[in-house]
Amino acid sequence: MDLERKRIARRNHIREGSPLATGVLGFIAVALGLVTVYPMYYVLILSISDPAAAMTMRVYWVPDGFNLDSYRLLVRDSEMWRAYLNTILYIVPTTLLMLATCLMGAFPLTVKGLRFRKWINMYLLIPMYFSGGMIPSFLLIVKLGLYDQPLSQILPACFSIWNIILTKAYLSSIPESLRESARIDGANIYQILLRVYVPMAKPILAVISVYTIVGVWNSWFNAMVYLPHTTWQPLQLYLRRVLVENTQDLTRTLTSEESLERALRQMSTAQLKYAMIIFTTLPVLCAYPFFQRYFIKGIMLGSLKE
Amino acid sequence: MSIVARPVAHQPRAGAAGPARWNREMLQYFSLLLPVLALIFIFCYIPMYGVIIAFQDYLPGSPFWGEGSRWVGLEHFVSFVQGEYFLRFIRNTLVLSALNLLFGFTAPILFALLMDQVRVTWLKKTIQTASYMPYFISTVVVAGMVISFIDTDGLITNMLTAFGLPRQNWRVQSQAFPIVYTVTNVWKGFGFGSILYFSTITSIDPGLYEAARIDGANRLKQMWHITLPGLKHIIAINLIMSIGGILNTNSELILLLYTPATYDVADVIGTYTYRLGILGGQYSYTTAAGLFMSAIGFMLTYLANRVSNALTGYGLW
Repeated sequence: MDLERKRIARRNHIREGSPLATGVLGFIAVALGLVTVYPMYYVLILSISDPAAAMTMRVYWVPDGFNLDSYRLLVRDSEMWRAYLNTILYIVPTTLLMLATCLMGAFPLTVKGLRFRKWINMYLLIPMYFSGGMIPSFLLIVKLGLYDQPLSQILPACFSIWNIILTKAYLSSIPESLRESARIDGANIYQILLRVYVPMAKPILAVISVYTIVGVWNSWFNAMVYLPHTTWQPLQLYLRRVLVENTQDLTRTLTSEESLERALRQMSTAQLKYAMIIFTTLPVLCAYPFFQRYFIKGIMLGSLKE
Repeated sequence: MSIVARPVAHQPRAGAAGPARWNREMLQYFSLLLPVLALIFIFCYIPMYGVIIAFQDYLPGSPFWGEGSRWVGLEHFVSFVQGEYFLRFIRNTLVLSALNLLFGFTAPILFALLMDQVRVTWLKKTIQTASYMPYFISTVVVAGMVISFIDTDGLITNMLTAFGLPRQNWRVQSQAFPIVYTVTNVWKGFGFGSILYFSTITSIDPGLYEAARIDGANRLKQMWHITLPGLKHIIAINLIMSIGGILNTNSELILLLYTPATYDVADVIGTYTYRLGILGGQYSYTTAAGLFMSAIGFMLTYLANRVSNALTGYGLW
């Protein structure tokens, strides 16, 4: 289309804007792109540089030397692996339950003759504008006996009214005649949902899964409030101890000889931290190219409801 | 104008309108619905009801009603508003939100307008993809990186020193906090926030630009007279939502970035509620404080919506 535009412009003797301005704008755009990527790149090259070079924190363009000792140290950190495992333990059930609650909540609402449909829609709308806030939610978790329990990370996060509404909008676009013909063939409501609607709803379910997975992976606030002990804390809270609070000693897995060696080789805590950042962000960054289009789709679907 | 075609409402055919009475089918539908409604009731509605502790002296374990509940009326609200920190919250919240509105809200629009000028498709795609990436990195990691970068020997400190600024740990400098917070927020969100603007720009009829160019409009004029009007309704809706959210500063990020040295410029209602409520056990007082701030936030949304409806004809309601 750009080419087409240019051709028409040339034919009609219309100037395409000055090349200088195009160059300047392009340059600013590239600079912005670099600004978003560079911090991550800097962390990466510093984490794989030679410890002595990393110590100076002045490795800006390419890795200075190549050394994976910091990573070798990290993978022996059993607390990190435990936190990793916890996060996965939260992601899997939360995502599955999220899909289930979305379908269960949205499917009946696509039926025109559903009883109390108006009331139920209202019931869904109110919590989108009002919430009890941090303290009442905390007290509820305590009263339910979920405090300090792994379920406190799953149950409050396993449904989302916003997602139910998105699913409802999507399911409404499935022709009603499909439901009718399935019904004539003798299918009951559950069979219609599972055999007719679920296969057709795959695109929206993919979007919701991706949002849920990334959301749970990145969440830490509820875990901080509801999980006082490290046993069940997810990866992000472990990272918070390492990166933000400096209360986690990354060198505790070392034997005394290794400590000595580390001191000799001057591996800095910063390098260990950077290696930790890369190691724990890698799954997200690897998944990112695949997830990206679902995120964009989710925004588009959301804008439809705004 | 919607971005994606709205699903067409299907006219129920005669006799196929679905069940309307309580029969087996209706019960089956409700068997699907009820567990979800129950979850919403428990985790959304019960906390709303729990807000009544703002009007009590609530102690853990004591009941909300009847014997043992101690009602104090508006006492907590009064002491919050008269308290020594009230003005600090209002000031911090307004400063951080104003900065966020000024930069966080406009950055995605400017970025989308800029990218619209980049005509090399692969470059455009690459930069866009790069710009969304920070959104996927967790707040904890982003905060960890920022904290390390602004430390005495950090990347950003090194750069600032090159410009003649003192070498110090910027995290504990209160005058730097609003900037650190805003830059982090903008860096994390501008690319992702611009997705909707990108797609709206693509949906603008290219013929309009063609016509404008034939009439001699330059780049800036085209942007002003075609692109921006095309984005008007999305900008309006996003603006209303940002204004409504003015009092909901990103307390997760603040909680990670601030230190006791910067409380005086960084403390907002969310962080205060966490420290005093969750850690300090002052449940009733912090609930009252939170409720007070939410009420103001709701009024702001309402006002912004009224103004937008009057000025642009677009609104949330």
